[in-house]
Amino acid sequence: MSAKDNKDSPYIAFHQSVKFTFDGVKYKGFKGDTIASALIRNNIKIIGRSFKYHRPRGIYTCGIEEPNALVQILSEYSEPNTRATVKQIYEGLKIESQNRWPSLENDLSSVNNLLSPLFSAGFYNKTFMKPRGFWKKVYEPLIRKAAGLGKPPKPFKTKSTQLHHHVDIVIVGGGLSGLLAAKSLAKTKLKVLLIEQDSYLGGILKNSNKISTIESKDRASWIKDVETEIEYSKNIKVLKNTLATTYNYINYLIAIEDLTTGMMPLEGHADQILHKIRADHIILANGHIERLISFRNNDLPGIMLAGSFEKYIQRYGVIPNISPVIFSNNSSSFSLIKILIDLNCKPQAYVDSRSGDKIESSLLDIIHKENIPLFTNAHVEGCDGKKQVEEISIRDSEGIITKLKSKMLCISGGFNPDVHLFTQSKGVLTWDDKYLTFKPSKSFQNTIVIGSAGGLFQYSKLANDIDSKLSFLNHEPIVNINFELNESDNYSIEKLWETKHEKKSRWSKSFIDLQNDVTTKDLRQGIREGFDRIEHLKRFTTNSMGTDQGKISSINALGIVSEILNKKVSEVGTTIYRPPYAPLSFASIAGRSTYNFYDPERKTSIHEWHKKNGAVFENVGQWKRPWYFQSYLEENLDQAVQREALQIRKYAGVLDGSTLGKIEIKGSDALEFMNLMYTNNFSKMKPMSARYALMLGEDGMIMDDGIISKINDNHFIATTTTGGAAKVLSHMEEFSQTEWPHLNVFMNSITEQFCTFNISGPKTRLIMEKVFKHIKFDNESFPFMTFNNFTYLDSTIRILRASFTGELGYEIYVRPSIALKLWEDLFRFGKDEGLIAYGTETMHLLRAEKGYIIVGQDTDGSVTPQDMDLEWMIGKSKKDFIGKRSLTRSDTIRSDRKQLVGIKPINQKNIIEEGQHIILSSNVKPPVKMLGHVTSSYMSPNLGHSFGMAVIKDGKNLIGSRAYVSSSSRDAYEVEIMKSVFIDDENKRLVS
Amino acid sequence: MLIINCPYCGPREQCEFTNGGEAHVARPSDPEKVSDKEWSEYVFFRSNPKGIYFERWVHSHGCKKWFNAVRDTSTDKVLKVYEIKDEKPSLADLENSNLTTPSGEPEVGSGNFTVRKI
Repeated sequence: MSAKDNKDSPYIAFHQSVKFTFDGVKYKGFKGDTIASALIRNNIKIIGRSFKYHRPRGIYTCGIEEPNALVQILSEYSEPNTRATVKQIYEGLKIESQNRWPSLENDLSSVNNLLSPLFSAGFYNKTFMKPRGFWKKVYEPLIRKAAGLGKPPKPFKTKSTQLHHHVDIVIVGGGLSGLLAAKSLAKTKLKVLLIEQDSYLGGILKNSNKISTIESKDRASWIKDVETEIEYSKNIKVLKNTLATTYNYINYLIAIEDLTTGMMPLEGHADQILHKIRADHIILANGHIERLISFRNNDLPGIMLAGSFEKYIQRYGVIPNISPVIFSNNSSSFSLIKILIDLNCKPQAYVDSRSGDKIESSLLDIIHKENIPLFTNAHVEGCDGKKQVEEISIRDSEGIITKLKSKMLCISGGFNPDVHLFTQSKGVLTWDDKYLTFKPSKSFQNTIVIGSAGGLFQYSKLANDIDSKLSFLNHEPIVNINFELNESDNYSIEKLWETKHEKKSRWSKSFIDLQNDVTTKDLRQGIREGFDRIEHLKRFTTNSMGTDQGKISSINALGIVSEILNKKVSEVGTTIYRPPYAPLSFASIAGRSTYNFYDPERKTSIHEWHKKNGAVFENVGQWKRPWYFQSYLEENLDQAVQREALQIRKYAGVLDGSTLGKIEIKGSDALEFMNLMYTNNFSKMKPMSARYALMLGEDGMIMDDGIISKINDNHFIATTTTGGAAKVLSHMEEFSQTEWPHLNVFMNSITEQFCTFNISGPKTRLIMEKVFKHIKFDNESFPFMTFNNFTYLDSTIRILRASFTGELGYEIYVRPSIALKLWEDLFRFGKDEGLIAYGTETMHLLRAEKGYIIVGQDTDGSVTPQDMDLEWMIGKSKKDFIGKRSLTRSDTIRSDRKQLVGIKPINQKNIIEEGQHIILSSNVKPPVKMLGHVTSSYMSPNLGHSFGMAVIKDGKNLIGSRAYVSSSSRDAYEVEIMKSVFIDDENKRLVS
Repeated sequence: MLIINCPYCGPREQCEFTNGGEAHVARPSDPEKVSDKEWSEYVFFRSNPKGIYFERWVHSHGCKKWFNAVRDTSTDKVLKVYEIKDEKPSLADLENSNLTTPSGEPEVGSGNFTVRKI
């Protein structure tokens, strides 16, 4: 028996056909169809293969809860795991089935099904333990290939965007309850947002036949009237095609809107919006979800939830099968039977687990009247068929089995309030003994749950439910609405989680979680092996851990577990429902913050000059800094650095140091404050002089370094490392605000207010005298570590004599607007003296030759000034500074701490690798005793060999001795441990 | 994401703020006079209660001011914010010292939660 259109559905445009392909074959659906409804229309039963056993699977539901029908959308960056039951088709849509090879019809991996004893619960944990090393090389690649769902998408630029909302009320769900709530709030002044996941409002009114008329109107016209009313209200905004996925603290809701429902995503337009919503109150009206019943082979294509079957008829205008068998443990099937009869499609049989006297008389009447074969007090024992349902076995109360030839079985195991969002909000659930499900009991946040989401399954009580819960909002009371129903107003259900069935073959399985291929046998096995807590059992069996989070089966699992453990379901408890409610893509979370918008780029005023002159850039924090300058196109890093480093020690070089952090500190207590922030003593420093300074944390560890320029006791300028600028400023702010608020001191970042050029090398003085003809640069007029303000192009510039290379050097601070002009002036006058621009890598090499450390490279947050051989920088006479007390803790005065030393290979051909271990001998048989590690290493053209800096246990005492450096590619090699200054130990070049 | 009521700017989203750890941890006035143990307690040791917690925040992407807050760590409810110079509020003064527990913390553990409120 095949599918048939129901042209009465107002939601499908039957005059507008849409062509699409599935696994390369062309099909035709109608505008408004989901992939699932279109495939059903084309009598396609098998949609994919299952996760573990590669069993054929079909369409089980008609919505977001779908466990089986997941497909890959080839036409949209190859988006995997798309729910066929949600995604609407459009002209030219290309779809592929998942997890099958070589084809959907003949999947070779389905042999897994026969090997299933190997794949039972906990199989990962147990089967693949031995031999050691096999997991990574053999098992994991194999399992990864065989298991899983779709293939990862191709890289793409996100086209999603984000919106923030601040509203009074959010109503989640535009179904019957949600619409009633919205209608009653339409005349208030509250700002309301109504969120609906479907493209149409109406919920159960749109998806089923359960309500015949409402307020004496037919369903469609009632929805239309209410929608119009909402549209005309000024306070309610409706978001359709929008799914609320996450309910966070303080009524913070995340919802994802699909802007391309039923159409090809457009180039240059956002295809989804992530809504970030903050509300005073959230009304959850998100309804309920139907659940399955477990029996033998309850996963075969052709089995579908009864409510979903009805939704296909009403919402999507397709009758999946004109003569299905219906199996239920509750009263909800009446409307399905009625619509089938109205459409001239009589069900083949009705099976109810309840005894005849418990079944509603209205249901019995219609069945008798239409002569539908009725099985009461009976269960579906199992289904058989090769690739889809072919035969259904029904067991009556006496154990007699009747076999029916049929291709469609509709099942209803009852309803669960959709409590995911409610539990995400931290609301408490309670077990309902009458309806056999968990329902919301106590809200933790400002959450109101109405309608079936709250466990109310009686239409006659709905108005009162909403009125009583919303009265505090001064809403317009609903009071009463009259319904004409196609089912009993008293929903009743009998407990039935799994039917009694025989195992017929290895192929027979009774599933609890269809997406993760978890069987009821797995649950029993897990409990037998001691995993009797529900959270443990979930992880051991992977029950409800798929992308559907077991929406149609997790309560059933609890029911089965409670029976095995002989406990109440309420004692078993639920596992925690975690956000998101349904998968949302990383692209939607990232929004616009990708590629160029991921992080801001900071460029100095000289950036364009650098680009023109062959600079290769590196990222330092957000800054783009020249790494090295290519003198010809093919020059590589090593070549450039060797050339630059030689040139500077011989002539001169200039570095764009504009990225260095600069902080201005002012106030009558600035001196006292600086003495507390840094290790150095600034009291005796003369005005207009500078000092290299260290900043520690309270733990005594080096946090940052820089040069402090003292203009006078009330005014300092501190430089920081490029990456540490923000941290240092906030560190200063923290202490000035929290520890020493009585100090009159203010600080401000001036990093971007000044460009800084560090010029150094023996020819520097000559160049400076040419550029600044009116300034005296001789040693007496301009001694080392002093600075002054000068005029350049009618603007004030500051020149500080300092050096990070060990050569004679100056730092020039200049306004960005004239910085490029000055930079070019330096070259105009300096070119003939051999001036070059150099990058950060050469700067690193030169400073290491001189033995200067880089905070963050040679230090790692666990070294003190003593460890770095910088004791001379500690103002011992100062009573206090941040971190001072920690420098005399028993741990920081240990002599065997790792200390900074220099190292040099004995065999000068060896190049030391950064990060390698310092060890005692070349014998690297484990366990190897580690002395320390290499923090910096370079090939020095000035020394003619490789050298490095290292932190070594008790290093100071080991100077003069030898050790070994490990290597990833060759034997460990011997190095000499030495003082970490390699060039100009007496500072002659600096101070003369 | 929490909403934090900056005493200087008013309620703002949490992403504008940086947490500064426990409040009212006094820096010894004369560090040289305290023992290693006392000093390390100031530097390294902080309480980590489930329940009422006095903590520091800084409005780092706003006014950059530091202030103190009282938060119930079991519910994430910020009960009070106050300026650094203000006295530590007593529990009795807090608007909501009668605390609620979040859901899912059943009286008898179901295995869902490793920590139970005492």
